[in-house]
Amino acid sequence: MVRKKVLRKVSTIVILCMLSGLSAGCYDRREIDDLAYVIAIGLDKGKSNVLKMTLQFAVPTAIGNGQEGGGSNGEKSSIVTTVETPTIYSGLNMVNNYISKQVDLSHAKVIIFSKELAQEGIHQYIHAIMRGREFRPNMFILVARDSAEEYIKNVKPSLEINPAKYYEMNLEAFKYTGFTGNTQLINFYLQQECTCSQAVATLAAVNRYKTTGDFTVKHSTAGNKSRSYPLEGDFKAGHIPRVGEVHSEIMGLAVFDGGTMVGELDGEETTYYLMQTGQYHYSYITLPDPIVKDKFVVLNVTQNRKPAHRVRMEDGSPKIHANIRLDADILSIQSGKNYEYAGNVHILEKAAEDFIEKGMLQFLERTTTELNADVCAFGKDMKGQFLTWKEWQEFKWLERYKDATFEIDVDLKIRRPGLIIRSKPAYSTKGEEMY
Amino acid sequence: MSNVFFKTPLSECIFRFKVYYLYRYRGGVNTLSNFKNFIKNALFFNEPQKTEHFILTESQDASPSEEQNAGDTANTKPDAKKRSRRLPRKTQAQPPLTQNENAPLTISKRLSENLDYMKTKYSLPVNGDIVLREFDIIVKHKVISAFIMFHDGMVERKIINQTILQPLMLLSNLDIKSTEEDIVSYISKHILPQNQLIITQEYTEVINMVNFGGCVIFLDGINTAFVADVKGWEHRNVQRPNTELVIRGPQEGFTEILRVNTALIRKILRDENLIAENISIGRRSHTPCAMLYIKDITNNALVQEVRKRLESIRIDYITDSGELEQLIEDNVFLPAPQILATERPDRVAAMLAEGKVAVIMSGSPFALVMPVTFFALIHSPEDSYVRFTYANLLRFIRILAILFSLLLPGLYVAITNFHHELIPTDLLLAIAASREKVPFPSIVEILIMEISFELIREAGIRIPGPIGPTLGIIGALILGQAAVAANIVSPILIVIVAVTGIGSFAIPNFSMGFAFRILRFVYIGLGGMVGFLGIAVGLFIHGLVLTGAKSFGVPFLAPFGPKTSGGLTDEITRAPIWKQEKRPDFLNPKDKKEQPTISKGWMNKK
Amino acid sequence: MENKMVFGKWEAITLLMNMISTKIVLNFQRKVAEDAGTAGWILTIYISVLALLGFMVIEKLYAEFEGKDLLDIGEYIGGTVGRVMIGSVIFIFLVYIVTVVLREFSENLKIVTLTVSPISFVSLFFLAGMIVGAYLGLEALVRLHAIAIPVLTVTFLFISFAISQYFNISRIMPIFGTGLRNIFVGGFTKVSIFAELLILFLIVPYIRTHKNFKTVGYTSLFIAGFSLTMSSLIFLLVFPYPAAIEGFLPMYQLSRLINYGRFFQRVESVFVFTWGIVALLYLSAGFYFIVFTFKKTFNLTYYQPLIIPFAILIYTMSFLPPNLDSTVILETKYFRNTAWLVTFVMPIVILLIAKTIKKRKKEVKHSNG
Repeated sequence: MVRKKVLRKVSTIVILCMLSGLSAGCYDRREIDDLAYVIAIGLDKGKSNVLKMTLQFAVPTAIGNGQEGGGSNGEKSSIVTTVETPTIYSGLNMVNNYISKQVDLSHAKVIIFSKELAQEGIHQYIHAIMRGREFRPNMFILVARDSAEEYIKNVKPSLEINPAKYYEMNLEAFKYTGFTGNTQLINFYLQQECTCSQAVATLAAVNRYKTTGDFTVKHSTAGNKSRSYPLEGDFKAGHIPRVGEVHSEIMGLAVFDGGTMVGELDGEETTYYLMQTGQYHYSYITLPDPIVKDKFVVLNVTQNRKPAHRVRMEDGSPKIHANIRLDADILSIQSGKNYEYAGNVHILEKAAEDFIEKGMLQFLERTTTELNADVCAFGKDMKGQFLTWKEWQEFKWLERYKDATFEIDVDLKIRRPGLIIRSKPAYSTKGEEMY
Repeated sequence: MSNVFFKTPLSECIFRFKVYYLYRYRGGVNTLSNFKNFIKNALFFNEPQKTEHFILTESQDASPSEEQNAGDTANTKPDAKKRSRRLPRKTQAQPPLTQNENAPLTISKRLSENLDYMKTKYSLPVNGDIVLREFDIIVKHKVISAFIMFHDGMVERKIINQTILQPLMLLSNLDIKSTEEDIVSYISKHILPQNQLIITQEYTEVINMVNFGGCVIFLDGINTAFVADVKGWEHRNVQRPNTELVIRGPQEGFTEILRVNTALIRKILRDENLIAENISIGRRSHTPCAMLYIKDITNNALVQEVRKRLESIRIDYITDSGELEQLIEDNVFLPAPQILATERPDRVAAMLAEGKVAVIMSGSPFALVMPVTFFALIHSPEDSYVRFTYANLLRFIRILAILFSLLLPGLYVAITNFHHELIPTDLLLAIAASREKVPFPSIVEILIMEISFELIREAGIRIPGPIGPTLGIIGALILGQAAVAANIVSPILIVIVAVTGIGSFAIPNFSMGFAFRILRFVYIGLGGMVGFLGIAVGLFIHGLVLTGAKSFGVPFLAPFGPKTSGGLTDEITRAPIWKQEKRPDFLNPKDKKEQPTISKGWMNKK
Repeated sequence: MENKMVFGKWEAITLLMNMISTKIVLNFQRKVAEDAGTAGWILTIYISVLALLGFMVIEKLYAEFEGKDLLDIGEYIGGTVGRVMIGSVIFIFLVYIVTVVLREFSENLKIVTLTVSPISFVSLFFLAGMIVGAYLGLEALVRLHAIAIPVLTVTFLFISFAISQYFNISRIMPIFGTGLRNIFVGGFTKVSIFAELLILFLIVPYIRTHKNFKTVGYTSLFIAGFSLTMSSLIFLLVFPYPAAIEGFLPMYQLSRLINYGRFFQRVESVFVFTWGIVALLYLSAGFYFIVFTFKKTFNLTYYQPLIIPFAILIYTMSFLPPNLDSTVILETKYFRNTAWLVTFVMPIVILLIAKTIKKRKKEVKHSNG
């Protein structure tokens, strides 16, 4: 019996030793405050090495102490560091030598490639990022038109303390502007990997204008569209005529062929891209008044149905038919014409349809001739017409896209006029006056 | 050591074969059996003990013949019980365990002998609260000396004066027209106007009665004693229950008096089929207990099992039903109570009506109800008193409370140490900022706070009344505010600990709350070890232990594992009262239906 | 003593369902995508139908052997030799798959959350669950299945709904993927996906009647087939074909995509729970059947002393494959192409033999009588 008791004790001790071994082995345990959280990653072409990596870290003490109004007491809410490195991961290793805390990427919101790098191809980086557990698939992919480093340095949010929130809010703005896209990493990756579409990334840049006197329309894309004055969508990031606290801005999309950037879309084209892919939520669209010259009509356009695509092969070249159905509310009629009236509404509808159709055709033709990239994923429809994967692969859609011809059918219905249902002119000493 | 530990298992296997095939017919070899024992111990292997495991058979399994048997016993047994209940005292003699071997077991004819015996038995005159009164009575013109004996304070003195002493001393010489020759029957029939009078010849019974508020009367010349039940001690009145408060519903709770308690239940049920069997527990204390069940609802096997367990207890003294609970529960190590202790007669009544068994112990205001399942422990009596939509909200809040009190600190540790990506960025940075000046790892931090919280809790119970409110202030202010200001803990952690604490108070069953309070620390440890995986393993093992457990033959997680009908509608949510048509299937009651399909008669068209 | 234990249909169905569809959280969707391209879901439907047909045959043959498991039937055919032979096959089969799955789950969790911890440390937690599960026995295990499986199903449904914003029907085009031949001829051996159906033939005594056996078999096969199909369909709807076979851990990849606003994203860690519990249920049930089979095969009195030795054995064996990919190949390439021989062919053969023997015995009796 004594023997039994001793044995029991011994085996208990063994078990306890094993358990204590377990508890000592908290291998992965890392406290929240032991980590440095990267918010943005910027990748440029390096001078002394392959890559120049810029990391933006959140400073928790500046952001987290909400009681005293946060970073208003002059504390910087983020710090930026740049390192030249052969690969992303080796760069992280190098950064850890002077950032006291271990770098953690799980809260990175954006990854920014410089245009230069993107034009050389970013396929290998995308793969590395997809492999890494810490990179979120919901990160946004950006292409900085000049330099990623410069862009990150100029992200100094003024409305919020936390730069992470700035990125999140700013990049989601496409839902109500229509000027950028949902270029999350996963979307980028899926577009890139799908054999039926090409990827896009949001264009970002630092605004150059110092004073309002510097404004010019030189950089606007209005000229290409035979327009004498730019509409709100005729810009790309960096050229919006504006000054203010925040210098960073996003507008337009970078178009990729595989992993290589081949061109840019301006704001208006991006709107059409969103309409074609069904990602468009709503935005204001300004169009010239159909009757009175030099006056504008502003519509709040929404897309309530997915676009319908039909692709046929005719004489070896794709013939694409797209039907876009939009709804709109009137926001402003500068001419004071009574377009709200049910009898007149079709005039405005027709004008808006023509305007959008024209712009869209221009944009689509640009994708075939200039960019040669099926960004709107018309290939998806083509794909369904094949039975096996082998046939589809041998068809080589992406190569054939450049011969595509388009037929666009925009169907816009004006539903509501806002609070004014009959426009009446204002009266002055000169009689009726338009407003 | 570890070498041995890891190598033995394989050899054990091989060895077992050898033992099985080679030594099967030769008998054990001594050295080998030593070795065998060694290995068994090293592997924590105990031969399964030959204890009987009670399984409350599912009625669908029971073959018809068994059912028949059960029915037969149902017809015969309770009748016997009924008879025994009518007798004022339990007729079965207790095993004379307390008796001195050379002492007389039966009462002597000579008063002096009886007097001496009683004096030695009760250590008179050392024993101060025993009253011994000697006097003479005149019966049929004969003077007989007599004495009475009782415990001062345990009896109603007025009754002794009026119904024992007065008739014996004054009225006994009245001319009573009777031809009664036997003095015993004469006295019992004519002289003592007592409603509960026992005539006995055994000391054991006399002593048991005296110990429990009886008054014994010895007369010279007869070998019989009269014991009058004149219980009357000071006790608490029926008050509001202290631990199970409800807004809606009856507000009376059990007291320490057995018969008051049984009456409280009987008052609610008013059913002649409600049986209250007397069982006394304690070799010395003989504490009376009542086992309650409804004869034609409760499964006989269950009643027998409870009776068997209660009668088998060998213990000297028992003071509270808490001790009794520990003596009859199935599994000592299970992290959950297997018997429901409640202060509320309405709750006991409701459970008896479902087909459960209740045990009430004299001296304890907590009745024990068995068997109990996990889900009954998270119910409150109020659930059935308020309208069913409200009750369902309460139930979900309670489930949330359980999850919080069990898992929240563990989850916090797991998330902040392993799964940083799960926290929204703003919150993450806020936590990081608040933790910046805290010197401890978060697991230590949370242990500090949890332990302080447990301290406040324990102190709050032990603290003398008037100082009570100050403790709350001290706890809240000092620990909450000051700990944060001193950078010992981060403010977010105070929120976690507070929510956990509130959650644990929202669990209706005190004992269940205890189980979760203890396990919370286990989950903190597991969460700190490998994050969510640890907690998942913890939940898995916890779940396995609970599913493997049984309370009086009923699986602990009964309506879900094993699955029987009505799990979701009766145990987690609550169906409207007219929808609760069946008694819980896992209890296998004799009467399965609680009410007809349409219980609201006015709904029927005439 | 143990034969007294019985459990209901629901418990048996959930047990089998979990055993069969555990692959959803492992590598199943990726594997079918590799085999059949965009038509992975068609392949899944096909093998589900095959498995149902296979079970139909077995069930018909089983009708005469109510309440007997495969080992009992083995004994019926060939006495101790027969029982030991069949027992050994089942034992090796279970040890192989439990070992590989233990390694796979540990590796997966290591990739997903515990990147720094050594693999032996991660495995230890699963091992703890297995040992406790086996000690507490089948009754507790099946009851836990009965409780946990509905909850787990809800989580998977939740993932499926939450990622529905990424669904795109064009991704499962071309409809026949890598071709009909690949699906229907090459995919035949993939019926081994249902290899764990073997467990059903071991729990026969506990589910008593042949009617229950039928219900349990068909229901669990149907539900498992349905959930496997749905899971592969969902995966292929989100990940286009070439990308689908690029990523490891399909279900994890999917849950990473859940994204509703700034708050409700990055929730995949929560599903570590789900995976942990699915894995623990699978492994502990599998492990229980290992020791149970061994016990029954060699007619031992208790199975408890076997638990620790076998646990250590499996734990050690799970480290034999040098890396993750070779582990996956051990499962997908070898096991999932051959296991059907054990799960479907072996019972059919045994039952046929047993049937003939029974018939002959009857005839002999008849002629004698």
